[in-house]
Amino acid sequence: MAASGEPAARGVALSKAYGSGDTAVLALDRVDVEIDAGRFTAIMGPSGSGKSTLMHCLAGLDKPTAGEVWVGDTELSRLGDKALTRLRRDRIGFVFQAFNLLPTLTAEENITLPGDIAGRRADGAWLAQVVETLNLADRLRHRPHELSGGQQQRVAVARALAARPQLIFADEPTGNLDSRSGAEVLDFLRRSVDELGQTVVMVTHDPNAASYADLVLFLADGRIVDRLERPTADAVLERMRRFDVRGGRQVTLPAPED
Amino acid sequence: MLKATLRSFLAHKGRLALSLLAVLLSVAFVAGTLMFTDTIGSTFDRLFRSTSADVSITAHNDVAGRNDQNFSGTVPTVPASLIPQVAHLPGAAAVNGRVALAGIVLTDANNKSIGAIGGAPTIGINWNPGPNSPVDLTSGTAPTGDGHVVVDADTVKKHHLALGQPLHVIAATGGFPVTLSGIATFNTTNPGATLVFLDTGTAQRRLLGHEGVFTSIDLTAAKGVTHEQLRDRVAPVVGSAYDVKTAEQTAKDAAQTLGTFLSVIKDALLGFAGIAVLVGVSLILNTFSMLVAQRTRELGLMRALGASREQVNRSVLVEAALLGLIGSTLGLVLGVGLALGLIRLIARGGMVLKGSQLAVHWPTIVAAYAVGILVTTVSAYLPARRASRISPMAALREADTPERGAPLRVRAVVGLVVLAVAAGLLVGAATDRNLGQAGILLGGGVLLSLVGLIVLGPLLARPVIRAIGGWFPRVFGPVGTLSQRNALRNPRRTSATASALMIGLALVASLSVVGSSIAASFDAQIDKTIGADLIVQNSTGLPFPNEVGDAVQATPGVGLVVRGQGTRGALVAADGTQKRTVVVGTGPGLDKVVRIQMRSGSVAAGTAPGHALIGSNYADAHGLHLGSPVTILFQSGRVGTLTVGGIDVTDTNPGGLGDEPVVASTTLRQYVPGALDDVVFVNVAPGASKAQVKSALTTALAKDPQVQVRDQSDYKKLIRGQIDLLLNLIYGLLALAIIIAILGVVNTLALSVIERTREIGLLRAIGLGRAQLRRMVRLEAVVIALFGAVLGLGLGLGWGLAAQRLLAAKGLQSLAVPWATIIAVVVGAAVVGLLAALGPALRASRLDVLDAIAHE
Repeated sequence: MAASGEPAARGVALSKAYGSGDTAVLALDRVDVEIDAGRFTAIMGPSGSGKSTLMHCLAGLDKPTAGEVWVGDTELSRLGDKALTRLRRDRIGFVFQAFNLLPTLTAEENITLPGDIAGRRADGAWLAQVVETLNLADRLRHRPHELSGGQQQRVAVARALAARPQLIFADEPTGNLDSRSGAEVLDFLRRSVDELGQTVVMVTHDPNAASYADLVLFLADGRIVDRLERPTADAVLERMRRFDVRGGRQVTLPAPED
Repeated sequence: MLKATLRSFLAHKGRLALSLLAVLLSVAFVAGTLMFTDTIGSTFDRLFRSTSADVSITAHNDVAGRNDQNFSGTVPTVPASLIPQVAHLPGAAAVNGRVALAGIVLTDANNKSIGAIGGAPTIGINWNPGPNSPVDLTSGTAPTGDGHVVVDADTVKKHHLALGQPLHVIAATGGFPVTLSGIATFNTTNPGATLVFLDTGTAQRRLLGHEGVFTSIDLTAAKGVTHEQLRDRVAPVVGSAYDVKTAEQTAKDAAQTLGTFLSVIKDALLGFAGIAVLVGVSLILNTFSMLVAQRTRELGLMRALGASREQVNRSVLVEAALLGLIGSTLGLVLGVGLALGLIRLIARGGMVLKGSQLAVHWPTIVAAYAVGILVTTVSAYLPARRASRISPMAALREADTPERGAPLRVRAVVGLVVLAVAAGLLVGAATDRNLGQAGILLGGGVLLSLVGLIVLGPLLARPVIRAIGGWFPRVFGPVGTLSQRNALRNPRRTSATASALMIGLALVASLSVVGSSIAASFDAQIDKTIGADLIVQNSTGLPFPNEVGDAVQATPGVGLVVRGQGTRGALVAADGTQKRTVVVGTGPGLDKVVRIQMRSGSVAAGTAPGHALIGSNYADAHGLHLGSPVTILFQSGRVGTLTVGGIDVTDTNPGGLGDEPVVASTTLRQYVPGALDDVVFVNVAPGASKAQVKSALTTALAKDPQVQVRDQSDYKKLIRGQIDLLLNLIYGLLALAIIIAILGVVNTLALSVIERTREIGLLRAIGLGRAQLRRMVRLEAVVIALFGAVLGLGLGLGWGLAAQRLLAAKGLQSLAVPWATIIAVVVGAAVVGLLAALGPALRASRLDVLDAIAHE
């Protein structure tokens, strides 16, 4: 885990272009960003703002066109596929919007999968604590199709937490859930930061979801245009509205990541 | 709608490619087989038509059979004196005496045989040029006198013979040196016989042993006289001792003999083509099921937009018909290639066919398209019907391909009932004493057990794959777990994929069991019956000149030498009924070289001059005892009454002495003058070494390459070699079915990878390496392939066991399970899985993680 004071992840002058020449679309435009360890950071922005691209670059899922990405003290641009895969496996946890679980594995097997892939012995006590926190104890032997959407996302969160990664990336984790299940999942992400000391980065376009974070970064046109500490849903909503009023440009941009 | 169908067809062409390949291969095999056998048929037809005289006269001989020169003794001949009797007949333009005798041997100066021993025949013919001759002298001179021969151009070319080269001809009367004086070229395709032309006098003396006789007299009809008219004029002149036939009859008779052989080849090849088609069906069925499942949404949308159920149905069927049409056309083209390949292959075996004369008949083309289009549309019908039954809204809603299907209980009951009936039939086949009936039971049991296992497949998938892949998680970790579970995900698809492999491997397993059981039985039989140290014999059982036996007897170190002859004949009962059989002649001492179980009397007494040794079955049936008279009709047509001197226990095992009467060689030659040896048994002299005697014999017999010296173990090797050759040939043909089955595994995996794109993306995102992903796909393929192998081996062993029990009634008592083959099949199946997974695994590992996660 990152030493205190040092950011869990860093992007330095990150640019990401899709296509080339005149038709090139800049999804990220020299973005400098630091993700503080032990905090819950939300990345917001309208469609096409580059928020998913930013997350993918920070998580080692995508390569920036220019700039550097640091996860802890590792710079990612020089890493090959093997090293990146190992980095994701050992140091990063993921929660996606949908389709987070392998249908053939039970909830428990899904949770321990990254550790199993790495060939690590699971930390029983930690696992028990995670399962306890996420209230999944009686669902461990179930297959994903036997679980509700909220339960499935909770299993995904548990999987992200199980390996005690340096960073957890959540990509619209509540996008497919009803508001109650969504609140539950967000609550667990919050608690994983508060009680388990995790670092969480969440991409969302839901102001309510963003309000669970410690810090909200606003992206527009591939740049970080604003930040909001200790946000409330109303404050976030207000900030988002300003995009719409100012609007137009972002909306007409192609949306490479969606 | 048609436009939509075409679009969708083109859009999925990659996924359809493997199905197309399956159709193509199946059709190619069917078409290639038909073209190949048609080409053989038409080549021989042309040959027979060109070599048959307008009308020919041959000796009539009931006992020897028509043109039967395989058994030694007097060759049926026609006296030359008949020629003037028929030459003056109106309508006879020309009359020629013909000598044509198969079974001679042509060797070069180094005593190496020219012409295939055991393959196509070497025929000695008198040189008789004329307008109707099927050959022309293309270089050198016609043979004159004793020392010259003309050889056919194909043989000359194949063995690089040159004019003036010294050669050696070995005929029944012995060998004689000759010089190659000329080369004759066939004016039609000669499929492979080696033709040795001698001048007429030499041919008569050397081949038939007498001057003044021919094997046939050929008449050429004058203009305006039909062959039938000429035949009707000749027949009364020559009388009933001779057969008079028109060219059409001769050609038809010859074609008939060949026809049986040809239809066996054709049926066997078509049988394998049928297996290929069957396996192809399962591949096509599987592909369409998967394609339709993947297109559930697309089809649902079409339905929601107002397409009727029939239209959706038709859309899938039209797609299938298109696939069938393209596959059949390509298959026909490949079939031509396959037929040409077979022609080239068989040329190595000695049968020369010309690729330019490839016979492509209408029925072949019709069959190709019928198989291709019918098989494809029928295979696509079930998935199409299922597709059209989905309610439009359900189809639109369902994002993932659901695992639905008929209730498994119905499947279980149907499968178990079918399997139980099949088991009953197989047990029946194993225990039935009536061979024909048992054969039918076996066939039914094989077919039903196959159907039963295909029906039960999806149910068996879970337990069998758990057992096969049970150790995967321990060895391969989560990758092992995932691959095993993936294989179990859609048991129906897994078992359909595996069943293709199952069919091929079941056949391999059962045939290998039967093959090795036959070999083991022969081994036991050889041990039981052959007492001789060494045996000199022609591998095809043809007789050989007496100089061979003389040479054996003159070889130092030989002890007892027993020479045997086989001739055709019949046992004549008191009421005049005849039982056709081989009449065996033997020198003294047969019981020292062959173990014969006696009922009464002795071998020595039975083979004393004027006596006969007969089988117990015949003796019982006709109330014969020691001292009873027994009447034998010999090949020459003469009848002899001999005294029963011994009765042996009839041995119905292959290679055993059945009811054939055995008489002394001297007695046999009284009735069949000139009967030739077809076997010489040798015991080495006391104190001599078997190995030394064997090599001395081999040296002594060097100028007779048609015979070989063998001991018991050589015999076992020979038989094993022949069985292995046959099995390898069959395995080679089954390889096609296995290739199609591999395509099926490839197809299933490729489509699974596409279906699971998001899963793969997720796995990659959370840290599964590319190599691990590839291993996951490979292991899934291995599991599927091993599942097919396990079912196939189980099935095949069952079939093999039943077949062996059935053959046990025919004397093949030993059961041998070829474990090496079985293990090879299992390992091979795993390799097949690995091969099949190559492409899909690579594709899966190359997926872009982000694209995969975002995949719809």
